[in-house]
Amino acid sequence: MTRIAAVGDIHVGADSVGRVAAGLAHVGERADVLLLAGDLTRCGSVAEAELVAAEVAGATIPVVAVLGNHDLHADQGTEVVATLAGAGITVLDGTSTTVAAGGVVLGIAGAKGFGGGFAGACASAFGERAMKAFVEETRQEAARLHDALVGLRDRADRRVALLHYSPVEATLRGERREIYPFLGSHLLAEAVDTAGADLVVHGHAHNGSERGVTPGGIPVRNVAQPVIRHAYRVFDLAVRAVDRSVA
Amino acid sequence: MTDDAGGTPAPYLVQHIQDALAADDRTRELGVDATVAGRRVVLTGTVATEPLRRAIVAVVAELVPDHQVVNGLAVVPADEGGDVEELP
Repeated sequence: MTRIAAVGDIHVGADSVGRVAAGLAHVGERADVLLLAGDLTRCGSVAEAELVAAEVAGATIPVVAVLGNHDLHADQGTEVVATLAGAGITVLDGTSTTVAAGGVVLGIAGAKGFGGGFAGACASAFGERAMKAFVEETRQEAARLHDALVGLRDRADRRVALLHYSPVEATLRGERREIYPFLGSHLLAEAVDTAGADLVVHGHAHNGSERGVTPGGIPVRNVAQPVIRHAYRVFDLAVRAVDRSVA
Repeated sequence: MTDDAGGTPAPYLVQHIQDALAADDRTRELGVDATVAGRRVVLTGTVATEPLRRAIVAVVAELVPDHQVVNGLAVVPADEGGDVEELP
């Protein structure tokens, strides 16, 4: 098995020192990799990023993260990423990485994602500049996620898409439907379905539901901590190695 | 739709509360639901820590000092454990 621990929306702040670390005390025994699905901080300051780094420092397995909207609130995204990277956390932003996990190579493609809503009831790139910019942000996030997943095809046996925003409506159920356009976009699901993946994990929707599936049949899991109500959720992916000797 | 005769209409007051919780450095919280009924504000949702839970109540109480603030917030559990899901 390839064991993947995942959690989002841990919202580390000055008042929560030690809370996340305590929950990760045994993660290295239960999983091969820890994924953080954005909103690591409360308001995106470098000081909070330093606290995040300290909280996960005890994890004895690779830690891979994407940022969320809270992590960008202070307009210090670059510094936050540098702080986390300096502590050994791999931060993905339309990029990918691989880790050895359970005897196979696990590929992780990550992007923050963005909103816009879902097919049939979504924002269109039409009209005001602000509206077009909003939609374009999501399109770019989706395109970069797609390319990152495609880039893993020849490098990884199993592939996971790591997001903050949701690619499907199913994992938003429990949230007010009026705010779905601010919680995710079908463009992210379309990117995953087109590029291929074995699992999608995301956060952001605190009042949402845990399980969904893309229209193409890929499992989607909302691992926002208020949803999973634990330090992290563990997913065991069946081992399925790709024979790279076959052209 | 008003909180009291001549007061701020309840829907606006709800949004003012949510805006304050997002903007205030003590909270920076987007996930709290507020319901206004007469002179009562009921707060529900889950937050990361007990200090944050208390700070949210303090911010709302400062914003609407003439209302009773009912704290229905829960702190999200973050202990290890839980089911392991096997995927194909």
